[in-house]
Amino acid sequence: MSYYFAIIGTQDNPLFEYEFGTSKQGGDGVARFPEQARHMNQFIVHGSLDIVEEVQWANGSMYLKCIDRFYNNFVSCWMTGGNVKFLLLHAPSQPAATTTTRTSIANPTSPQTEEAIKQFFTEVYENWIKAIMSPFYHVNMEARSPIFRQRVVAAGKKYL
Amino acid sequence: MASAKAARLGEEVWKSRVDKVNAELVTLTYGTMVAQLCKDYESDYLEVNKQLDKMGYNIGLRLIEDYLAKSNTMKRCVNFKDTAEMISKVGFKIFLNITPTITSWTSDNKQFSLIFEENPLADFVELPDDGRAQDELWYSNMFCGVLRGALEMVQMQVEAHFISDVLRGNDTTEMRISLIRYIDDEMPVDDD
Amino acid sequence: MVVYSFYIFDRHTECIYSKLWARQDRPISSGGTAARPLSGSSASSGPAVPDVGPARARPTRLSAQDDAKLVFGTVFSLRRMVQQLGGVDDTFVSYRTGQYKLHYYETPSGIKFVMLTDTQTANMRSVLHQIYVNLYVEFVVKNPLSPVEHPGGEGVANELFELALDQFVRGFP
Repeated sequence: MSYYFAIIGTQDNPLFEYEFGTSKQGGDGVARFPEQARHMNQFIVHGSLDIVEEVQWANGSMYLKCIDRFYNNFVSCWMTGGNVKFLLLHAPSQPAATTTTRTSIANPTSPQTEEAIKQFFTEVYENWIKAIMSPFYHVNMEARSPIFRQRVVAAGKKYL
Repeated sequence: MASAKAARLGEEVWKSRVDKVNAELVTLTYGTMVAQLCKDYESDYLEVNKQLDKMGYNIGLRLIEDYLAKSNTMKRCVNFKDTAEMISKVGFKIFLNITPTITSWTSDNKQFSLIFEENPLADFVELPDDGRAQDELWYSNMFCGVLRGALEMVQMQVEAHFISDVLRGNDTTEMRISLIRYIDDEMPVDDD
Repeated sequence: MVVYSFYIFDRHTECIYSKLWARQDRPISSGGTAARPLSGSSASSGPAVPDVGPARARPTRLSAQDDAKLVFGTVFSLRRMVQQLGGVDDTFVSYRTGQYKLHYYETPSGIKFVMLTDTQTANMRSVLHQIYVNLYVEFVVKNPLSPVEHPGGEGVANELFELALDQFVRGFP
């Protein structure tokens, strides 16, 4: 499984990006997007913003679950109270590339995955709040804090 | 001895005589103010330090009266060591509920350091990453001014400055305080 | 117990507040106005002073300003004398003459509170301390618009402080 995580501001502007792979089942935490598809991640995530707007009022919770799918890419969303979106694109590894670990490929829409992503989002959300509480952070400013990045990396390692 | 007594006093006043406010309110108010200063002075951090110190000084001039009133202090401290204990265990305790550690006395007992294990002003703070703030801005510099102002009112002229700050990546947050002199009583003017 | 007058001096030896109370044991006939205290800062020399009791029963009436200076001179000298005799930590609490009793309290920040009462009054040091804690700090120091120093009494004689002080003093038995 490969992940592309992005935080999108209130003006649909990107604030933070991070690409990583699974650390579960012996994964090494490195993203393995096919080279020709990698640059598509941003477009896919950006494309799903419209759907976020559609579903954001549907239920009261911040976690909107898996909201979009583009071929083999799934997009999950967490929406903060301040209208900042956390979007996580998760793509199961291409069967052809990793035939040996085929059995370990997590089903991207299973409740387990959903729960793991929720935990990841929750942890990122907590750290996000701490990051934006810094007096030197302004709304819709790119999150450059190395501490925040470090914590996202840790959360990714822990849950995904 | 004096230290334990001061700690008891600070604890008692904090528990019974102090109105509490939400810690985040303090943190965010102070943070916003520092950020605004940085903006107003166009990231001239040395000037921001100076302004923070000045604000603190003006706070200290008043705060000392509140301190004396709340702690029921009737007498002056007998020496500077005593003063340090009262600053840490009563002053910081009743206003911020922290007790910075007193260390590194010089042999003439006129200089000491306060180590801030926790600093409510600096929660959540990450200094701007413009490459200069880390070397120039003393984020909590208001403390220095407060001490300077407060001690001046009880006839001690001191000099206070930070020498390290965890926000800058140092291991500790340390402030150095030196006694310059005791200020004499003012005499009434002759007008006969 | 009767309070005659009350003074505050700052660390620059200036009188920043003074207040005189008329004698309360006299029958108040003229619609209560006779009992109204006369107050003012040192800067304004009091004009016509009503009868304020034995403390001011001198042949020639001094102005309120001179009065304050005299009081300060007295406590200043006494304080020094006491310190020379009893060490720097010693402080005098009150003295008594045939006519009045003067009570004294000085904060570590150098603000001096002086109260003149009749001779029968017990020690008022704690009362002066209370005035400092509950009135001066609350209404003068904590007022963000009042200046830190009070040249000419500026900022001290605000309504809240005056009212509370008056009430406090009148509340004495």
